[in-house]
Amino acid sequence: MAEPIVEAHREGAAAPSQIQRGSGLELRSLTKLFSGHHGERVVAVDDVNLTIDHGEYVVLLGPSGCGKTTTLRMIGGHEEPSSGEMILDGESLLGLPPEKRPTTTVFQHFALFPHKNVLDNVEFGPKMHGVGKEARRRKAEEALEMVGLTEFADRKPAALSGGQQQRVALARVLVMEPKALLLDEPLGDLDRLLRLRMRVELRNLQRQLGLMFIHVTHDQEEALSVADRIVVMHEGRIAQVGDPLTISTRPENEIVARFMGDNNIFRGNVVAREGDRLVIDAGRLKVAARAPAGFEPGSEAAASVRAAGLRVDQERGSGDGINELECEVEFVEYLGDLVKLHLRLDENVFVAKVPGDEYAMLRGREGSTVRISWQEADVQLLRP
Amino acid sequence: MSSSSGRREPAPALAGAGGAPPEGPAGGAEAAGRRSRLGRVADAPGLRRILWLLPGSAWLIFFLLAPVLFIILVSFWTRTISGFDEVWTLDNYRALFDSNVYWSQLWSSFWHSLVVVAASLVLGFPVAYFLAISVTSLRNQIALFIIALAPFWTSYLIRAVAWVPMMGREGALNTILQKLRLIDQPLDILLFSDFAVTLAMLQLYILFMVAPIFFMLAQIDRSSLEAARDLGANSFQSFREVILPQSMPGIVIGSIFVFVLTMGEFGTVRIIGGGQVSSVGTIVSNQVVSVQFPQAAASAVFLVLAMMVGVFLLLRVSNLREEL
Repeated sequence: MAEPIVEAHREGAAAPSQIQRGSGLELRSLTKLFSGHHGERVVAVDDVNLTIDHGEYVVLLGPSGCGKTTTLRMIGGHEEPSSGEMILDGESLLGLPPEKRPTTTVFQHFALFPHKNVLDNVEFGPKMHGVGKEARRRKAEEALEMVGLTEFADRKPAALSGGQQQRVALARVLVMEPKALLLDEPLGDLDRLLRLRMRVELRNLQRQLGLMFIHVTHDQEEALSVADRIVVMHEGRIAQVGDPLTISTRPENEIVARFMGDNNIFRGNVVAREGDRLVIDAGRLKVAARAPAGFEPGSEAAASVRAAGLRVDQERGSGDGINELECEVEFVEYLGDLVKLHLRLDENVFVAKVPGDEYAMLRGREGSTVRISWQEADVQLLRP
Repeated sequence: MSSSSGRREPAPALAGAGGAPPEGPAGGAEAAGRRSRLGRVADAPGLRRILWLLPGSAWLIFFLLAPVLFIILVSFWTRTISGFDEVWTLDNYRALFDSNVYWSQLWSSFWHSLVVVAASLVLGFPVAYFLAISVTSLRNQIALFIIALAPFWTSYLIRAVAWVPMMGREGALNTILQKLRLIDQPLDILLFSDFAVTLAMLQLYILFMVAPIFFMLAQIDRSSLEAARDLGANSFQSFREVILPQSMPGIVIGSIFVFVLTMGEFGTVRIIGGGQVSSVGTIVSNQVVSVQFPQAAASAVFLVLAMMVGVFLLLRVSNLREEL
């Protein structure tokens, strides 16, 4: 990064400052309090710290009410934070109204202007910024071409399908050339097949533009599919930040393990520790895991194993009862590519996902006992 | 992030190969379903539809179309001492065209109606805007709207009559203004004047402007207002570009209501104008009272024509069919 600065000095004042990328978006101790129905304080967003780079696709993921949308609205200027700081490329966003921020938002239900045709919708932003008629028309046409809607320019939004409306909403914000694109449940209004296709297109678009995308969703699969980095939120706080692989396979805590779904969670006391390997006694079974430090014998611990990490064994395993168990098959759920086994051991339930071609063997096995096991490497210790 | 650093695909991202048949399969199926349902209604034996149409058309025929036709007929008949004879004549229209009073009155009623329309728009729009946009909870919205409708709970005549003790020479307003020493002499303009009639009509009919505008504004998607701000519009721009165009059908419908209601007014003119003020309505009404039915009919025909011209002009302002 040092080189262009030297260059700029040599050439005098002609430094193309927009081309040089700034430091990105930084959220510092961002907090939002709402007053509830009875005057009490409700913490919607609680001390969120996060840095997002330009060109990065970040997904804020969590159940409804976790503060993800409020966080996005604060970045866009549609809510004012109660405390904390937001800095985009070295400049504070605090106090700036939405129209003065270098961010634009794709709203959940598209929020197109129903009385304007597609082209006028897309032209709206440049028009508000005083861009001349010719120039803004050209920009709008380019944006429509980018989303493949050139031939629909004269239509009113009501005459478009959900997917097309989504594209108009995208073109309308892309024409603004924002520093950050904020997407609030952008695929929520689309039917499933369209959603699957649009998320790939969103990701491709983001790569092509190299733009910062901040995308809010409650859909785990959608988050894994599009994100460079996923921020899992829970009750206003960040539960974990990581790339999709980490979030999916290495949940740091029980909140993330439960929210991502299909994780088997074991709790118990640490009964043995040999070097960096420890054994947890979880009642009817024992779980062994790698742990660098902490978790002394006698302390409580929890661990999770992904459903896909569980195997169904045909013959007896090692027999020491560690990382294996015998349990009853409650339900065999065939999902095409894979089979989801719902298992029970006393009051504990587990799920295992095995390849779909094992369905022939598992079909009708409800009520019988199977032996399952998993690799020590697949066991993830959870922080409390 | 390594995955995002400049992997540029040549194809436009959203229009990529295989990317974009315009409609999802579910959307297509839904549309097809809608079409066939519509088709069924259209193909159905007409009996059910005729039954649905019957009350409305009967009402229109007996209470609107037939009277208007009858008025047109009567306007071409000959006046007698007790009514009319079915003898064709153009005398009624000849008398009308010779009457300067009628035409100046028609013109001034037309003009006054437009003033009331404009004033009720200027004063009514902020009320509707406040109710529909500024008040965010639906419960408060409904409660305040019902309160705004409160004048309708009393009879129109009572409201008009109530103006006399309020606005008269010895009325409440003049007394208060004098006690406050804001005026020395009572204001005569408040009653039995053109101004008073216009003001009273404004008070009586402004709700016909507020209600349709309120309903249009209440339908505006609030997130589209947020989107406007987000895209760089300041409050004034988002009003002009997003709110005003979407409330246009309400403005036009409200204007038609107020225009038609005030154009034909004679009750308010009588009470508030106290014989000092007249309108086309009072002319027609006087002719009816003095049993000059054919003459009244001819006067009424031109009143209806003037109203139609006004409504036509108002409709030109907005393409209702497209915008609703």
